[in-house]
Amino acid sequence: MSLLDDINHINNQAKERISNADSLDSLNEAKVKYLGRKGELTAVLKELKNLSVDEKKSVGAQANRCRQELEELIATAAGKFSTSKTDSSFDYTLPGTSSQIGVVHIINQVIDEIVNIFHGMGFEIARGPDIETDYYNFEALNFPPDHPARDMQDTMFVEGGRILRTHTTPVQVRKLEEQNPPIKIIVPGRTYRNEAISTRAHIAFHQVDGFLVDEGVSMADMKGVLVAFCKSFFGPDLKLKFRPSFFPFTEPSAEVDVSCFLCKGKGCQLCKYSGWLEILGCGMIDPNVLIKTGHDPEKYTGYAFGMGVERIAMLKYKINDIRHFFNNDIRFLRQFK
Amino acid sequence: MKLSHNWLIELTGLNWTPEETAEKLTLCGTACKNIEPTAKYMDKVVVGEVLTLSAIEGASKIRLAKVTTGDEELQIVCGAPNVAVGHKVPVAKIGAVLAGDMKIKKTKIKGVESSGMICSERELGISDEHEGIWVLPDEAPVGKPLAEILDYDDHILTFDLTPNRADSMSAIGIARDMAALANKKLMLPQTDIKESDKQAYDYISVTIDDAFGCPRYAARIIHNVKLAESPWWLKKKLITSGIRPINNLVDITNLVMLETGHPLHAFDLKRFGSNEVVVRQAKEKEKFITLDDKEHELDKNVTLITNGKTGVAAGGVMGGKDSEVKEDTKDLLLEAAYFNPSLIRKSRKKLGIVTESSSRFEKGANPNGIEFAINRAAHLYQQLAGGEVASGIVDCYPKKIEPANLSLRVKRCNQILGTGISQARMVEILKALEFEADNSDPIKVKVPTFRPDIEREIDLIEEIARIEGFDKIPTPQSITGPLYTPVHWEDNFKKEIRTLLTSSGFDETIAHGMVHSRMASLLEPEMKHLKLLNPVSEEVNVMRTMLATTALSVVSHNLSHRNMDIKLFELGKVYFPPDSNDDWVEEEKLILAISGSTAGNWREKPRKLDFYDLTGALDNIWAHLRLGEYSIVEQPVGWMENNMSFSISLEENEIGVIGKVSSKIARKFDIKEDVYIAEIFMGSLIARGKPLIKFSNLPVYPSAPRDLAIIVDNSVISSDIIATVKKNAGKLAESVKIFDLYTGKQIEEGKKSIAISINYRSAERNLTGEEIDIKQMKIIESLKSEFKADIRDK
Repeated sequence: MSLLDDINHINNQAKERISNADSLDSLNEAKVKYLGRKGELTAVLKELKNLSVDEKKSVGAQANRCRQELEELIATAAGKFSTSKTDSSFDYTLPGTSSQIGVVHIINQVIDEIVNIFHGMGFEIARGPDIETDYYNFEALNFPPDHPARDMQDTMFVEGGRILRTHTTPVQVRKLEEQNPPIKIIVPGRTYRNEAISTRAHIAFHQVDGFLVDEGVSMADMKGVLVAFCKSFFGPDLKLKFRPSFFPFTEPSAEVDVSCFLCKGKGCQLCKYSGWLEILGCGMIDPNVLIKTGHDPEKYTGYAFGMGVERIAMLKYKINDIRHFFNNDIRFLRQFK
Repeated sequence: MKLSHNWLIELTGLNWTPEETAEKLTLCGTACKNIEPTAKYMDKVVVGEVLTLSAIEGASKIRLAKVTTGDEELQIVCGAPNVAVGHKVPVAKIGAVLAGDMKIKKTKIKGVESSGMICSERELGISDEHEGIWVLPDEAPVGKPLAEILDYDDHILTFDLTPNRADSMSAIGIARDMAALANKKLMLPQTDIKESDKQAYDYISVTIDDAFGCPRYAARIIHNVKLAESPWWLKKKLITSGIRPINNLVDITNLVMLETGHPLHAFDLKRFGSNEVVVRQAKEKEKFITLDDKEHELDKNVTLITNGKTGVAAGGVMGGKDSEVKEDTKDLLLEAAYFNPSLIRKSRKKLGIVTESSSRFEKGANPNGIEFAINRAAHLYQQLAGGEVASGIVDCYPKKIEPANLSLRVKRCNQILGTGISQARMVEILKALEFEADNSDPIKVKVPTFRPDIEREIDLIEEIARIEGFDKIPTPQSITGPLYTPVHWEDNFKKEIRTLLTSSGFDETIAHGMVHSRMASLLEPEMKHLKLLNPVSEEVNVMRTMLATTALSVVSHNLSHRNMDIKLFELGKVYFPPDSNDDWVEEEKLILAISGSTAGNWREKPRKLDFYDLTGALDNIWAHLRLGEYSIVEQPVGWMENNMSFSISLEENEIGVIGKVSSKIARKFDIKEDVYIAEIFMGSLIARGKPLIKFSNLPVYPSAPRDLAIIVDNSVISSDIIATVKKNAGKLAESVKIFDLYTGKQIEEGKKSIAISINYRSAERNLTGEEIDIKQMKIIESLKSEFKADIRDK
């Protein structure tokens, strides 16, 4: 009998055993009997070394085909028996065992979002001290002593003749003193006001201020940047309204309203049925500020803008009480994952 | 400020709706925040006549009124003392909704049915008057809707004015902006007077001794005024502006102030005390009683109007008690003056009063608008009080305040705004705002004195922009200014710390840094804290010098709200009083605070959070930011437990503390649970920067891991063991780690078992078993000799 016949014989016998197998065990027995290390087909293959080169080729190929065929049959047959208990008891609905992840304070999330948009437009981040001098906070920003404009910002005084800054704008003065134009800066930071704490007002809050000083900067440039910012932050379908306003350190000054992102300008509780939300203040840097910081207002012009972070966060997330931000209740903090 | 919309229409002749007016004014800088119909609470309110009044059994304060409203008779229970038979009264019928959301329904009071309400002014939203019902004039026609007979078809506009615009604190000022927007002329109210034969100079003289505080003082004398109720048109203008009508003598000065923005004051000439007005600085501690019956002590910042002897008015702020206009007043001394804005500010601060008058003078009234204002008032005294106006104005104006001369460059204006507005349009706008402007370039401009805020070319540019409309300024799509600006490591450093800590389960908190001095001193009794001079409340009166002070409050808040398992951090500033060099220091710090247990899940039981959760978090930060190695050394910290109190150092420099908050301190914050805190100065860490990563080749030769278990006294610390192992293993030890720690039954008391894994590897060759065995022997010998370690068999 040739080896080819042996292979065919083994093939037939094995097929029958496989089709008759009634359990995973009997299937395994068949596998061992024919394909195992000491199995019948393996034994045949060991004989190959005694054959001529041509015979080796044809017999070897036949043996491999046989092996492949049997392995597939066994695998298919095994599938029938594989409804084993261990598999059906696997509860894939148990919660995954990830570790808990914390959350960045919502105020810092909003600051990052704002600052990143401006950084993308070429603004450099700058910071300044919370404890300021009257000069940087007021005087250099064109708030004359004994001027009603000072009443716009109730000030907290600390011993030693300094104040807690009432806005982040003093950093503008500091930077203008340090550098020559072009200067393009965005300033996030903490600010303080002497106000009674309520759902809408707090003694401390955060602002983001920005400004650009260069040759030939116009109010149109400012509009361009602020429209771009508002669209990035609140959404592309937004409408903007620039209204004249007053800040001592800008002239002309404007207040920017955006169409209410909740009702799309139709009027709702959030926008107090006006369709508009007041978002930021801005204007062309007053020549007095440039002169005080040693720059020629005939050569250089610039714009500045500023916004309240808490206000924006409260509008965006419909937070109804400003005190939540400093209470740091983790049930509040964790809502902003 | 509130104004009647009809009033603005009367002054401009425009046919704008209230909404149009509000929108247009807002877009030119006079923000209108609210529009409210005047007759908001007058729906279903009609004129009624009281027919009968009868007592109600068992009630002394209320009576039953039978009232006719023409088409029906109503039975109404009324509690007002001033109701009388024959009175014409406002009657709210069933279904009316009055001020304060009061809905009128059919009710029973003391068993008596009541079908409506006889109203006071307050219930109708007209004033705060609610002492009695509002008795209407006898000629009021019964049955007519109240709003109709009051001519009350109007809207109240509420303006949110900016502090620079003194001119917009008046009806004329606001109407002027409207007229400019529509390019129309204002329609000014009448000022014509028939002067009497008497000469004002014969009754009064004016001397200004303080021309700095009061650059101009003008007076008129008006004889034989008759006190009466003001006509409805006048009352309505006051009411809609939120000012309560009193009588014609008082109401006229108030009306003229609202109309022109110029506050006036009327003295009773008989009570004035002399025939001379002397304006001077008040003396230090000079006493003065204002007409609200309060005694004040003055200083030199108060410009005092005197009769040559005593004060009669705190100039521009409030009149005096003694010379006040009363019911028997016959002759008036009418004052129209101009006061220095910054002195008024000081003066009203000294007096502690803000009045309609002081807030207008503080922003800046019009020194050259005095004739108009005083003549307008004199006109009204003549028309409404039968006053005889003496001839002439006694006007003391030592140095005339001239209009400012400015020039406006057309090109400059368009450069600043980014627009292309023509010279002609600029001139047109300026003229519409009542500026004088010529046709040259630069445009020569004369600024009227009612606009003290216009001092420079840039202020004119703003006028052009706000009347032209900010919406006319284009919105370019390109960016100006530098494209590249540097990113600072400090910002990224903090961002990375936030990412690291939140990804290991810490929640970020922020505190405002103001704390109570008692709490601040608890943690640092020796420290001098920076005091707030005008704290909002005593609860926050110093600046923190440690983040722990605020962190413990946050922990306490959370624990008291049953948030028991907390891992918090804050990146925040601490503040110190100036040192001897007057350097003010604010420093950035990082605090970690933990309490309670890990979250746990169905596979892992929760366990208590402790010291090692803090050091683990620090390890992550140190490894990620490549800060080198920190060391922890026992050190007593006042607010920490004695045996759980350490300092953290980086290369010999102490940078922070770590440990467990002492129960004594915790109790002061109402905390009963264990709290672990690490607080670190960030400055030195940030200053190190983040070293660049240098790639190292992957190892070619295999590693040989060996484990070692030793038993040592509890007092031996693991870092010493690791150091000894590393020293003896030398360069071949790629890593040395503690992988198990055991104390308990199988170990002698006072001892612990520590299992260490050492990974040997050489970058140059395969290591042989023998050479590793030799290293292991050396390690074991030194552990034995240095720590009396017993080696555990596997």
